[in-house]
Amino acid sequence: MDEKIILKNDLLKICQDVIDKGHTLLTPGITEYNIVKDVSMIKFDASALPTKTSYKSYVFPKTEPVLYYKRGKSDVQLIDVNVDGKNVIILGAKPCDANSIKIMKHLFNWDYNDEFFNLREKHFIIIGLMCSHYDEYCFCTSVDSSPASEKGSDIFLIPIDENKFAVRIITEKGKEFIEPYSEYLKNGDEKISKQVTKNVKLPEVAFDSKEVHEWLGENFESPKWEGIGDLCLSCAQCAFVCPVCHCFDIVDEDYSYTEGRRMKNWDGCQFGNFTLHASGHNPRDIQSKRYRQRVNHKFRYYVDKFGEILCTGCGRCSRGCPVSIDIKEIVSNCKD
Amino acid sequence: MNNIYMPHLAEINEIIDESPDTRTFRLKFKDAETADRFEFKAGQFAEYSAFGDGESTFCIASSPTRKDFIECSFKVYGKVTQALHRLNRGDTIGIRGPYGNWFPLEDLKGKNLLFIAGGIGIAPVRCVIDNVLDMRDDFKDLTIICGARSVSDLIYKQELKEWKARIDIKTIITVDPGGETPAWDGEVGFVPAVIEKLAPPSDNTAVILCGPPVMIKFTMPVLTKLGFKDEDVYTTLENRMKCGLGKCGRCNIGNVYVCKDGPVFTYAQIKRMPQEF
Repeated sequence: MDEKIILKNDLLKICQDVIDKGHTLLTPGITEYNIVKDVSMIKFDASALPTKTSYKSYVFPKTEPVLYYKRGKSDVQLIDVNVDGKNVIILGAKPCDANSIKIMKHLFNWDYNDEFFNLREKHFIIIGLMCSHYDEYCFCTSVDSSPASEKGSDIFLIPIDENKFAVRIITEKGKEFIEPYSEYLKNGDEKISKQVTKNVKLPEVAFDSKEVHEWLGENFESPKWEGIGDLCLSCAQCAFVCPVCHCFDIVDEDYSYTEGRRMKNWDGCQFGNFTLHASGHNPRDIQSKRYRQRVNHKFRYYVDKFGEILCTGCGRCSRGCPVSIDIKEIVSNCKD
Repeated sequence: MNNIYMPHLAEINEIIDESPDTRTFRLKFKDAETADRFEFKAGQFAEYSAFGDGESTFCIASSPTRKDFIECSFKVYGKVTQALHRLNRGDTIGIRGPYGNWFPLEDLKGKNLLFIAGGIGIAPVRCVIDNVLDMRDDFKDLTIICGARSVSDLIYKQELKEWKARIDIKTIITVDPGGETPAWDGEVGFVPAVIEKLAPPSDNTAVILCGPPVMIKFTMPVLTKLGFKDEDVYTTLENRMKCGLGKCGRCNIGNVYVCKDGPVFTYAQIKRMPQEF
């Protein structure tokens, strides 16, 4: 591992250069990741809770056209779209967010490659920042991660003191990004940064993901799902704030009598009509089945298919739930 | 950029009104190169677009051995099928595909085949039948049992007539009680009852079974009683799909994606899945 030290002021100079070059620089704001226009708005706040939403929409937009069409009398003309491959630098990504794109990448690339996702992902540089604070909803330590996890980051920052960060260069992409700025990098001491990461406050491990995986396999018909289903309003905010939920809909939108576009929009498995057949039959017709799908998809199906849990433990779904459904509690209590 | 959501354009060359609510389109790709390159196997499906209304998923109903065109049959049910139904000969639709797996005809060579179809479920079965008929010598006895609610609801009337006329296929057509007309000369009765009466032999026989869930539910015990093994019964699952590519997240049954791991499954495979379809 290549460990360096950088002063906060020098890091801000790099940020300024990134903005001057016309790249998009994102940093956590109060409710979401904001585009940085002025470097003075960058906070480097390791003790902030995760923002309400992650930066998922920059790689997988809430809504985007996949094609445009023009209808003639009996003819149709299709116009392809191009994804703007602009560099996006995420500065100070929470470790729970940093890993999200890597997790989603499996889905968008098994067999068929979704270039809408890939072209954006290719131009992403994720600069993670160690996290030093958690609340009752955080559970990254239960899903193979931690507040000091470098997973998914291209470069990882560890605050040494108020004005100094240890810089760990994790990937080739990160190395390429930082190379032009090597003048700002001083040689670091791994011992100091390791001391910091060792002292980081860890949320208590709430469940063993392997045990949960096993329990889900054996308890598809458990009456527990009914109780949870009764509570859920099926608003799907949990899917929209989740950094790794990726279900979508494809819908045509006419904007005139002859022209329109085909849109790929975020969707959520908690919506009642998500799986509704045209015939009226619905495989997941009641809320308990839909919640069962959500938990199984995250902690069992995705693990079976791609070897990773479809959850980063950020706790956003629980923090924002209007009826206080806490996925951590549900999963940790499943066996009792 | 390779856009996996971009359909091919095809022209509706012919429209066949199969029943009051079911239509078949004979489609020809507009682009000669696509027409040439488009290859599929019996059982695969595609996403058909009515631009302005969206996409809908149905199987390719024509045989892969007949290459000049592809056909799809659909029943008017939702928004997209209604929009497709409004189109005329010469109009343009979009096709994405082929997607999914197929009936393993290579493995079934040398066997007797029993085709059981109910309602619109005959569309995927017809694709297999035509495919098998084009390589007739590779298979032994062929039996077709086809049912519909009423005489007017029977689809592929022309094909049924042709199959019935052939001496190398045993074809039984049935309509539900009350669905017959005075002139009806076929069977009257639900598909499971007709199978029970006919009692087809199960040795060295594979079953291709497609139809409404209720028909499958009552047909399976009959087949089991007649000695058919679950592994020898092939059927298709039709869940709601949007992408057909294993991404949009709605067709899964447990960790099985119907669009990629299916739509063709043996009954043994279906029994092992979580019962959520």
